[in-house]
Amino acid sequence: MNKTNKKVFTAMVVLLLVCLFPLLLTVLTSVIPEGDLFHIITGKTLLDFETNPMFLRTKMKTIGNKTYELLKNEKSESENTYLEIKNETPDELTGIGIFLGDKNFQLIKSFTCDMKISGGITELFIGIKDIDEQIKILPLEGDLIKADWGKQQIVIPLDRYEGVDLKHVSQLQILFSSPEVGDGICLDNIGVNYKFPTLMNFVNVWEENDFARYMFNSGVISIFTVLGNLILSTMVAYALARKQFRGKEFIFGLILATMMIPPQITIIPIFMMMEKLNWINTFYALIIPTLVTPFGIFLMRQYIEQLPVEIDQAAYVDGANDFQIFFRIILPLSGPGLAVLGINSFITSWNSLYYPLVMTNSKDMRTVQVGLAMFSKLNQVEWPKLMAASTLAGLPVIIIFLIFQKQIISGLVDGAVKS
Amino acid sequence: MKKKTKQRWVLFAFLSPWLILFSIFGLYPILFSFVVSFTKYSGLNPNMEFVGFENYIKAFQDEVFLIALKNTMIFVVGTIPFTTGIALVIGILLNNRRLKGKDFFKSAFFLPSVISMVVISMIWIYMYSSNGLFNTLGSLLGFKMEDRSWLASTKTALPAIMFMDVWAAFGYYVILIFAGLQSIPEQLYEAARIDGAGPFRIATKITLPLLKPTLFFVIAINTIRSFQVFSEIYTMTGGGPRNSTQTIVHYLYEVSFRKFEMGYGSAIAYILLMIIMVITLIQKRVLRKEV
Repeated sequence: MNKTNKKVFTAMVVLLLVCLFPLLLTVLTSVIPEGDLFHIITGKTLLDFETNPMFLRTKMKTIGNKTYELLKNEKSESENTYLEIKNETPDELTGIGIFLGDKNFQLIKSFTCDMKISGGITELFIGIKDIDEQIKILPLEGDLIKADWGKQQIVIPLDRYEGVDLKHVSQLQILFSSPEVGDGICLDNIGVNYKFPTLMNFVNVWEENDFARYMFNSGVISIFTVLGNLILSTMVAYALARKQFRGKEFIFGLILATMMIPPQITIIPIFMMMEKLNWINTFYALIIPTLVTPFGIFLMRQYIEQLPVEIDQAAYVDGANDFQIFFRIILPLSGPGLAVLGINSFITSWNSLYYPLVMTNSKDMRTVQVGLAMFSKLNQVEWPKLMAASTLAGLPVIIIFLIFQKQIISGLVDGAVKS
Repeated sequence: MKKKTKQRWVLFAFLSPWLILFSIFGLYPILFSFVVSFTKYSGLNPNMEFVGFENYIKAFQDEVFLIALKNTMIFVVGTIPFTTGIALVIGILLNNRRLKGKDFFKSAFFLPSVISMVVISMIWIYMYSSNGLFNTLGSLLGFKMEDRSWLASTKTALPAIMFMDVWAAFGYYVILIFAGLQSIPEQLYEAARIDGAGPFRIATKITLPLLKPTLFFVIAINTIRSFQVFSEIYTMTGGGPRNSTQTIVHYLYEVSFRKFEMGYGSAIAYILLMIIMVITLIQKRVLRKEV
């Protein structure tokens, strides 16, 4: 018996690992700088000068001297071209500017290049230009490669380049100055190394892709939905649990029946109504219809029914009215039931797509699910960013699940017993 | 007498949140969309033109709707046996008094069910992509993989989404089946064991027959949910390629809120409701007969 149990246990663990692997994959991919989990790109070559000069013009420009030379390195066996640039005017900054398009320097650990320096050049300068044409040039700190070819590491101290938008850099400049005309540098194999692992993908989607706004919208909607359900659904449940009146069973049956009706039936008239009210793209449209749910009424009726009636009868004799009984006695005693209802409403509200998709069309009012679905359509290959966005959208619910799993599961089982 | 009217008002006050919201966002839309389904209503043009059953007839002549209907059927029939089957096996394995960490396993299998379908779809878009997990694993095992996403081919897109759905949904049903198994009295198992029944005989002669109500319930809600498949289609393929993943609810969304043909959209919604009701009724019949 013990042996089979061990087998079952092992089988469960294996199944579980397979089952949760996709989630692990997501989190791991979100800390990759570029590429995907099976092709992590931690660095790449920006310029190796093996292309023809016309094409090179789309990749870089010269500064201080219009002409440069592409030379062949005779020492190496394969054909290897490098660039040489010399200064024309004494003490003027001369060098090259590499076009980067729109690069986030916070993702970058360092640049590297093969370099040879001639003459009396003692210092290199690194210039950074952002997409708004702001530029800052500072001397490069650290040791310099001397006379013969060597690998030069360029680590950029980001905090010293304040004033430049380091998240959107369009050009990196490698410059030198020398008092004597004819001094110059030779460059080859300019490359970039990324930080890995990095949290910049999260920062990026949060700040640059409106996920802060989406999360805020979803948060507001979920919180109001939860509060509404806790108070309003429980009020209705109280009446159904404690009051005797004609048509009670009919109403309760109707509430259960509405749980079965697919939301697709009601959404077109609700959309038309919201349009007439000018409520499309407002919190009203997204919150009000979900304030009372059949699930909430059902769950809380069950809960209140098993509270002893004697308590409210005693309060009634003492002169309390129904509202006092409800707010002072029933609500405080319903803690565990309210917890189940609140958590389940939060998850349903946070995760819903269909309803907010129909009721919003402005970017500012998108919920996190709508935002994520739209974001994926525009960024199909930027997996690290996509996975960071997915992690953000899933995280609140996962955290709540880890804390309140008991309530969530009991809500599910209770809700299921209904039919 | 005065007290009684006061009582009425109090009752009304407590019921009012539901009365108001249900009339506005439940009853009225249900009736109104039924009316709309018999009209030509574009949403942009407020004139409703009564057209009788035209929208309903149009649906069954509409090639895309028929494809959507077929795909939805394939989706329902192709996922439910696997979702239920896997959930049943895991439920039975978990329902073992001596197994350690039962609650942990239950929660862990359930975890994907609380994550939104959009997030899950994103994860699987990534895994199905041309450089993703499945193509990488396939190449490692020596298969010749096509250099494109699984979701980009008309042959693999729908099965790929169905496979994902089984993964995403079964944990939910593990919980339900486990709750059903817990209600079977332990003495029955003990009695069977004393009579010398093996684990297989116990499963087929005791567990399954007593679990039937739970199983039928699981299949019923699974059917209702599967007929309404939308989020994964919207996020992963948008119904494509070439309508190979078009489903009823996704088509309904496109018709109503992309083309703004609200009359036709309402008719499709009612056809969906009819299908779900008929299937639920059939399932109920079968359930009554069997139990």
